[in-house]
Amino acid sequence: MSAVKTLDRQPVTETARRIAALRKGKWYQQQRWARLMGLVFAAVVLDVMAGPQGSSSDVFFALEAVYKEPTSLIVWIAVMVGVWAFAEFGWGYVKPYFDWTKAKATEAGSSVRQVTADRRVKWPLGVGVAVLLIALPEMLSTYWNQVLVGEVAVYVLLAIGLNVVVGWAGLLDLGFIAFFAIGAYSAAYWTGALPVEPPVELTPFLVIPVAVLTCLIAGLLLGAPTLRLRGDYLAIVTLGFHEIIYLIAKNKEDFTNGPRGATGIPGFELDLGFWDYKWGLDPKQYWWLILAFAAVLVFVFRRLEHSRVGRAWTAIREDEVAAAANGVDTVKFKLMAFAIGASTSGIAGVIYASKQQFISPESFILLSSVLVIAYVIFGGMGSLWGVIVGTAFLAWLPQRLKEFVDPKDRYMYLGALLVVMMIYRPQGLIPSRRRKRELTLAKQGIGDADAMTEPVGGRMG
Amino acid sequence: MSTTVTKTAGVGGAVSDAVIAVSGLTLRFGGLVCLSEVELTLRRGEILAVIGPNGAGKTSLFNSLTGVYVPQEGSITLNSVDGNTHSLLGRKTHVVNRLGLARTFQNIRLFAALTALENVKIAAETRQKSGPVGIMLGLPHARRNERESDRRAHELMEFVGLGGKINELASSLSYGDQRRLEIARALATDPQVLLLDEPAAGTNPTEKLELADLIKHINRELGISVLLIEHDMRLVMSVADRVTVLNFGKVIASGTPSEVQRNRAVVEAYLGAEMAAEVLDAGPSDTGVAAGAGVAGGADEGKAAGAVGGEEER
Repeated sequence: MSAVKTLDRQPVTETARRIAALRKGKWYQQQRWARLMGLVFAAVVLDVMAGPQGSSSDVFFALEAVYKEPTSLIVWIAVMVGVWAFAEFGWGYVKPYFDWTKAKATEAGSSVRQVTADRRVKWPLGVGVAVLLIALPEMLSTYWNQVLVGEVAVYVLLAIGLNVVVGWAGLLDLGFIAFFAIGAYSAAYWTGALPVEPPVELTPFLVIPVAVLTCLIAGLLLGAPTLRLRGDYLAIVTLGFHEIIYLIAKNKEDFTNGPRGATGIPGFELDLGFWDYKWGLDPKQYWWLILAFAAVLVFVFRRLEHSRVGRAWTAIREDEVAAAANGVDTVKFKLMAFAIGASTSGIAGVIYASKQQFISPESFILLSSVLVIAYVIFGGMGSLWGVIVGTAFLAWLPQRLKEFVDPKDRYMYLGALLVVMMIYRPQGLIPSRRRKRELTLAKQGIGDADAMTEPVGGRMG
Repeated sequence: MSTTVTKTAGVGGAVSDAVIAVSGLTLRFGGLVCLSEVELTLRRGEILAVIGPNGAGKTSLFNSLTGVYVPQEGSITLNSVDGNTHSLLGRKTHVVNRLGLARTFQNIRLFAALTALENVKIAAETRQKSGPVGIMLGLPHARRNERESDRRAHELMEFVGLGGKINELASSLSYGDQRRLEIARALATDPQVLLLDEPAAGTNPTEKLELADLIKHINRELGISVLLIEHDMRLVMSVADRVTVLNFGKVIASGTPSEVQRNRAVVEAYLGAEMAAEVLDAGPSDTGVAAGAGVAGGADEGKAAGAVGGEEER
């Protein structure tokens, strides 16, 4: 409804019209056709990907299968053409409503964060989520309970720990599972499941502090010589550390029992004298145990995030030189992040070993390390809730996908999801506020989104 | 050091009240000599300006003082208020800061994604002892520390005149305010010496006046010695007690602002020998003014120097 009339773009003279026509190009040179071609190509690729599994004896089996039975191909192309047509021609009609809704939502100040920050919403919501989480295993089948504990819950614990290292301190740790392995093997050692006899046999609950301490020391041992390295170099070193731990687990047979692994790790037991509670084969029990640990960790880590330690981590992540110049002992705080992350991983290791009652080196392959990193980034580095939700979703997804696609293809879809996510929402599912700002600022060339690269202004002041 | 015309007035006598004493400092990068036998004394409670043409080694000097660079020769000693003497040569940056040297940066280096208050809090908290376990358990000690740093950060924000902007993002502040915030952050570490690296670069005339006021306040009210690198000669002349001039990594002069203005070596460094002769020999009554204009780049004759002086050092 502006009073200013928009400029009439019609060229005035005949010459101007001809020049304008020249500038405009032919109809087939328009960008939208390129976009259509791209989408059709994507349709073909997606169809081949989603089609029958390939075979090593016949390289072109998958392709042939797709083109002999072109129904699905036609459907894919039709869907993509539909998407294209809507984006090119239909979006203009829908956009005003979309914008209107968006404007209304912002106007009312009803962003999700503000609503959930309200006391009247916060407490009932928290209690509701807690009740739901506690009751969750009762609503699921045994299979899904196994998934819930073995895949989802353990990885959530790991992700909470890795978030401290990657999300808060900005240190790329590609070998995080090494600490998980140390925790698990500690459990095996102290409960007498390894070929070597421990000085005293402990119950899993008592192993936890020991494992935490072991991982803490391992974290310091790895961190102390390597934390002066920056970014990419640190990532490679952590990768190497993972391989060392993995190969020790595999080859030091007289200690770790080699590839055969450790068996008969006892379950958790809480003996209070008058009341004895045993964790057995039922995954539900472990779900509640992990839930309790996760709740405590979330509680204390949230305190940490909004304390001098959390702020120092942010400072180091954003500008290490400025942080040091203002008295932040960068090495100490980085080591602290490493140690805290490693300890959390150790707790997860003990619970995992005790729940599975069996561990072998193959439980701690590099892929797991990479997956945890992917989960943390997907959920939103530096945001506890984001990391938890993101990990839970991504750990659950491949199990669920089993029912729809060829099980061998599951991780391909996971990969595609990560690619799309990183392009359109690099800050993650539920981004941390600080991280989001950093990303925006880094785009403008101010500051740095992590401690992984050289700061924009160069290393020196 | 044949070029040293005016030596610091009474170097020998000043050592006792020196906060920072730099002597024979030489910094090389391969064959490039960045600083060559630099002598510099910062007395307790004074404002010392370090000036010099671009590439003279001013920022390198700062980086050597704060442990970013490690010079090959020479010594840097800090005499603390408590009577201890520390060598700063080759110390880690955060250790230097803890000993009482705080600095700002030529190209502002705030934690851009944090709020202004959080920026200051980070610096205020670096001396605290509460560890991660205490914080996670919410021990009273940790809570008290948190309250203390909060109060101190608020105070400092008021002091530098940013009291109304505590919750704004550091990156959304105006350029002048960002400079102030950086000073507040440096002050939060409770320094004895404040190193300001071109605090007036990129600020407008009003902001420059306010900045000069702020620097004087910091010096007089908080009793902090200030070492100032600055290209804006008006600012230098209005706040500095003494001036040291660097050129090609060497100290070419040192003294009160008016002494330095009349110094031939200094004027030559800025204007070149020919122009310097013209300006300095114009007339004895005028020398101070003319050379001052030349160095300050204020008047018309000093345009060349003004252009040099006004530029940001890379």
